[in-house]
Amino acid sequence: MAMTLSQKRQTFSVVRYAILTVWLCIVAFPMFWMVGTSFKPDREWFSWPPVYITENPTLRNYAIVWANINEYTKADGAHIDPKTGELSQYTQSLQRPWTALRNSSIIAGLATTLAVFFGSILAYGVSRHQILSEGRMFQLLMLRMVPPIVLIAPISLWYRQIGLLDTITGLVILYFLTSLPYAVWMSKSFIDEVPREMEQAAEILGASRWRTIWEVVLPLVRSGLVATFLFILILTWSEYLLALLLSKADVLTLPVELSKYQGSTEGRVYGRQAALSVGITIPLVFVGLIIRKHLARGFSFGMVRR
Amino acid sequence: MSRIELKNLRKEYGSTVAVNNLNLTIEDGEFIVLVGPSGCGKTTTLRMIAGFEDPTSGQIELDGKIVNDLEPRDRDLGMVFQSHALFPHKNVADNIVFGLRMQNASKETQLQKLHEVSELVRISHLLTKMPGQCSGGESQRIALARTLVTEPSNFLLDEPLSSLDAKLRRELRAECDRLHAELQKTFVYVTHDQEEAMTLADRIVVMDLGEIVQMGSPIDIYSDPVSYFVADFFGNPAMNLIEGEFVKEGDSIEFRSESFTVPVPEEYKNMTPGKGTFGIRPENVNVSSSNGDSSRKIGLVEPLGKDTLLYFETAATRPFVAIVDGTEKHSSGEPVELTFPDKNMFLFDSNGDRIRS
Repeated sequence: MAMTLSQKRQTFSVVRYAILTVWLCIVAFPMFWMVGTSFKPDREWFSWPPVYITENPTLRNYAIVWANINEYTKADGAHIDPKTGELSQYTQSLQRPWTALRNSSIIAGLATTLAVFFGSILAYGVSRHQILSEGRMFQLLMLRMVPPIVLIAPISLWYRQIGLLDTITGLVILYFLTSLPYAVWMSKSFIDEVPREMEQAAEILGASRWRTIWEVVLPLVRSGLVATFLFILILTWSEYLLALLLSKADVLTLPVELSKYQGSTEGRVYGRQAALSVGITIPLVFVGLIIRKHLARGFSFGMVRR
Repeated sequence: MSRIELKNLRKEYGSTVAVNNLNLTIEDGEFIVLVGPSGCGKTTTLRMIAGFEDPTSGQIELDGKIVNDLEPRDRDLGMVFQSHALFPHKNVADNIVFGLRMQNASKETQLQKLHEVSELVRISHLLTKMPGQCSGGESQRIALARTLVTEPSNFLLDEPLSSLDAKLRRELRAECDRLHAELQKTFVYVTHDQEEAMTLADRIVVMDLGEIVQMGSPIDIYSDPVSYFVADFFGNPAMNLIEGEFVKEGDSIEFRSESFTVPVPEEYKNMTPGKGTFGIRPENVNVSSSNGDSSRKIGLVEPLGKDTLLYFETAATRPFVAIVDGTEKHSSGEPVELTFPDKNMFLFDSNGDRIRS
């Protein structure tokens, strides 16, 4: 039976929302599982059939991970060494989540700020004065295509020699450099959106170059730079490989800390891991909330109203 | 006192020449319009005066002082852009006082001037709005106000009305004219619209392919075009231009094309025969009732009220147009005779140059 045009549109819109809903579930499920697991008591981590929403919510995972509280009783016998009666290894405060949180905040925050600051300045030069040719811009992006693993060996050798191995500075520099290409490319796309004529209008009205950038360009690309900032922050915040291999004991970051809850001889302690993961995620969510009014504009690119 | 002089101005982009050896003196208080098809170099010329483009060679002088190396902000200019280029993140009032703030004018001065100019261009009711909430016409008034507020000696306007619809364009055109009369400042106005050029200019500079083709008052340009290009560019509906050949017939010369045969007036008798173009403006075509042989059938009849346009099919792609008084009754298919007064004929040679008697 033939549908009228408005029926067709309605059907299309229903189908579209159905697909988006399914997609949202797929994307959101791991998050749901992470948060759910973090509140589950030990026996429910891998129980079958799986427990979707626990009936015995507990904060113990959080307490153990974040507050170093070990309140094991005999009921949790699985985690008491049967021979010695001592707590098993992974619960013995080897983990230092707060140190890791501090390190991650400094490293990711600093590297991202530097990358966005210098990246946007470079991007302005490229957008307005072609200081890098198109070819150079692609070469810049190509730097990101190099698998980090091939860089590890030379970088750790250099870092050892110049004393940057296992230092915060070392990781900041490395993260700054590896995210610079993204920063340049993303912020360039926002700066390109600001019409030249707007800057020229300011200039001919008597504004100096810096004043023009400060009063005209910056307010118009702010949302874009904020989006760039968050994008790079997420990358550096969750970077694992370089952090693992270039730091040993001193400079522990959150993703590395997370790995310590895995693969220990006692099996995987998913609840603790989930509690830590939630802790790792919260700062990003928090940053996202603070800057949310910029994000919708920033991530939709074609943003400047002409 | 402000006088803009362009001397041997040239601009190349790679291997293309955008402006070629341009010489032009713009007098104080003059309203000059640079007009031509897109790519003719008019905007490039304006942007060189503004200081946004560096000339490849040649000089730009303001009041006898060479300004080639001065920044745009040091040239005592105001500019209105085609895109208006309002700052979307500042409200209308902040847009307007921007130039004053850059000059570190006091708050009182800013406020006073803001009210002066916003009354001058009639936008006092818009001051607290954001540019995004204003219509195209309002935006252009705001852009004008923003430029006026710093009282520059020269105003550069780069196709300021081309993004507006026809009615607004007429309205703002009158506004430009009024402002020029009130301010007595120099206006350099770029447009591709011949009508704007005709109505606004004290002097029109017609450009094509980076060069000045003709300069003069609107009436001069209209009544005495130097070439096919200029003749074709000015006038609406455009001049009838018929390609054909000038042939010597004994003592006199005759113009012949597939559709028309016209005896060339006596005063042209010394011209060289050959290929060329015959031109006559639609309003100079005399339409009379047919008396047999030389009659033509009217194609389309387009009554415009005051006038009526009559279209005639010809061998060329462009129909031949005649304007008659709106009170005359004509109908499609009616046979009429067309005659052309000698004094209104324009003859062009095969290079498009005007043939003079």
